[in-house]
Amino acid sequence: MKRQVPLVLCFLFGIVMILTEFSPHSDSQELYKEVGRWYLVITPFAYVIGVMTLVQVHGTRIRRRAEYWQYSYVVFAGMILMVVVGMPTFLNQTPFFQARGISFGLQSPVFEWLFEYVQVPMEATTFSLLAFFIASAAYRAFRARTFEATLLLISALIVMMGNVPIGDYIWNTVMGETPWTDGTSWARQWILDNPNLAARRGIILGVALGVISQSIRIILGIERSYLGGD
Amino acid sequence: METLGIWIAAFLTLCIYSFLYRDNPFYRFAEHLFVGVAVGYGIVVQIHQGFIPFAWRPVETIISGEASPMDFIKLIPIAIGMLFFARLSPRHTWLIRYPLAILIGIGAGAAIPNVLQADIFAQVRGTLTPFSQLGTLGAGEIIGAALMVIGVICTLTYFFFSVEHRGAVGGLSKIGIAFLMIGFGSAFGNTVMGRVALLIQRVDFLIEDWLGTIF
Amino acid sequence: MLEKIMNMDRRIVFILAGLAVVIPTLLPVSLPITVSEPTQKLYDYIDALEPGSTLMMAFDYGPSSLAEPEPMAEAVLKHCFDKKVKVVGVTLLIDAVTLADQLMQKVAEEKGAVYGEDYVLLGYRPGGFQVILGMGSEIASIFDNDYAGKPLSEIPMMENITNYEQISLLLDLASGSTVELWITYANAKYDLTIAAGVTGVIVSQMYPYLQTGQLVGLLPGFLGAAQYEKLINSSGKGTAGINTESFVHLLIVGLVIIGNIAYFMTRQRGES
Repeated sequence: MKRQVPLVLCFLFGIVMILTEFSPHSDSQELYKEVGRWYLVITPFAYVIGVMTLVQVHGTRIRRRAEYWQYSYVVFAGMILMVVVGMPTFLNQTPFFQARGISFGLQSPVFEWLFEYVQVPMEATTFSLLAFFIASAAYRAFRARTFEATLLLISALIVMMGNVPIGDYIWNTVMGETPWTDGTSWARQWILDNPNLAARRGIILGVALGVISQSIRIILGIERSYLGGD
Repeated sequence: METLGIWIAAFLTLCIYSFLYRDNPFYRFAEHLFVGVAVGYGIVVQIHQGFIPFAWRPVETIISGEASPMDFIKLIPIAIGMLFFARLSPRHTWLIRYPLAILIGIGAGAAIPNVLQADIFAQVRGTLTPFSQLGTLGAGEIIGAALMVIGVICTLTYFFFSVEHRGAVGGLSKIGIAFLMIGFGSAFGNTVMGRVALLIQRVDFLIEDWLGTIF
Repeated sequence: MLEKIMNMDRRIVFILAGLAVVIPTLLPVSLPITVSEPTQKLYDYIDALEPGSTLMMAFDYGPSSLAEPEPMAEAVLKHCFDKKVKVVGVTLLIDAVTLADQLMQKVAEEKGAVYGEDYVLLGYRPGGFQVILGMGSEIASIFDNDYAGKPLSEIPMMENITNYEQISLLLDLASGSTVELWITYANAKYDLTIAAGVTGVIVSQMYPYLQTGQLVGLLPGFLGAAQYEKLINSSGKGTAGINTESFVHLLIVGLVIIGNIAYFMTRQRGES
């Protein structure tokens, strides 16, 4: 029950997806769509796992008074605030809230305000920190130690300069009245269109072969790591 | 409300940037608030845009008494999806394997034919097609096409670990590494553009929007 | 001295990077922008669309990466509304839907586009590739309502749009792996024409798909946004941003060169 049934289910649903993909018969196509519908119905429930894990982790932190446990209350406060403002759309029909012009839901002004002025700035700023770290990492670690590292470095510098208008501006200023204008953009485009394309295609082919072989192993029950322990 | 929002957004932005100096309570506050708000937002969207249309509406149809016998079949995936709640009980956690196995099986089954088509057939065709049009290509394009074939073969050779990388295979694999390094270099150059763009957007907000409310 | 240069406190690099952004933002410059071929291809494709045809725009980016795709989306929306090309908005990412809603409303207001006639936002549905596959057979099987909850049957624009057969182009504005999903499940299976506008991080991996024609055009990061703004003669965040970006790239290139000179000089000293 614990391991065999999931393996059988995985096999059945996988095989049905493959067979119905190649069969144009209307019944077969109906089955294909039905299986797809099952996937769509089950998927939203999977979000539950993520939320439960977060709640458990921060609940445990508060209970055990772990380091910085007070901040876990901030996590819960933020989460509850969004849910309270965004969830109860049924309250929009009640005279009490209608009379006061208060609305709930995804498009309620308060929910959108919280998203625009609280979530967006924090999320965007957190990821923008990477700009500082990438600048620092480039300075400290980008060394032409070997032939391969030199190729990487030269390619990166050309693409970096080709990505911004000042690259062509410098090139055109230095080259003056020659027929070779916008050389930095040209060099960037050449790298992306040729060596980069070849390397990426090699990676795509390798990854695709990996995905297919792994999918076959999953359907046949050879790969079972998704079942976890026990 | 807009001005208040801009001030709050600016305060939170500066809280997070304070991390550049070192870890501090302002940063930790903003970091935790970000996690909470983002998860709360995700819950609301998932329920309104996922759970209600896909899982609740069929139930609603049945409750309203307008359902056909076929509509009852829709309850099966809902019941399977609800097994994810078994995560709440340590003794029954294993039940989440049922919905998980179905999702993974469907994903794997859908991937095989489509990935084969999109990533293998189309990519191999793209590598060989220029050679069927050699007469119409210029010198630069012929060199590009040859470079592409050499690059693809050498990169694949580098990733082929079933044979020891010595002799001719070793040579091809070394050329493959050179292609990969140029590819990764270009990816780094583009990544710098992407990361810096994020910073520019935030600085633009602070200068144009926030300072704009003062000056 | 060389040791000092090589082991410079990283906070000095942070300050330099910050200044390289702040100063050009306060004192903006305008440098000529060269349009690359992938951007031109996308522009030409959209420009050649007949008025009344439909473009599906997938807003597959969240607040963490909106700096690049948002100006792209804005420029393409302006182009579409000017050309009377209808736009259907969707997203596969959970945190993108409010961004898409706000942006579509803003551009529509500016261009006088009418919701339900010139554009529609279907919203978000979980399920990634199954959402793509489902819309291929019938959009209403995935989105029975639009984002605001209005049934599709009551939206005039959606009367004649039932699946990908009525979509002239799908433009995926992405910060992750969704472009590959659209290519694998919409282009390979339903022959849907696809283009992409992506963040810098994933630009390089798009080129094999461009060469095969699986992508008919590509907006490469901030540069792509600026290039598209140039093509539609409407400078925006992309143009301002890429000009500022120039100085940060110059700084980073300069730092890498200084770091390498210091490294080679130290190594030479060590050898002698």
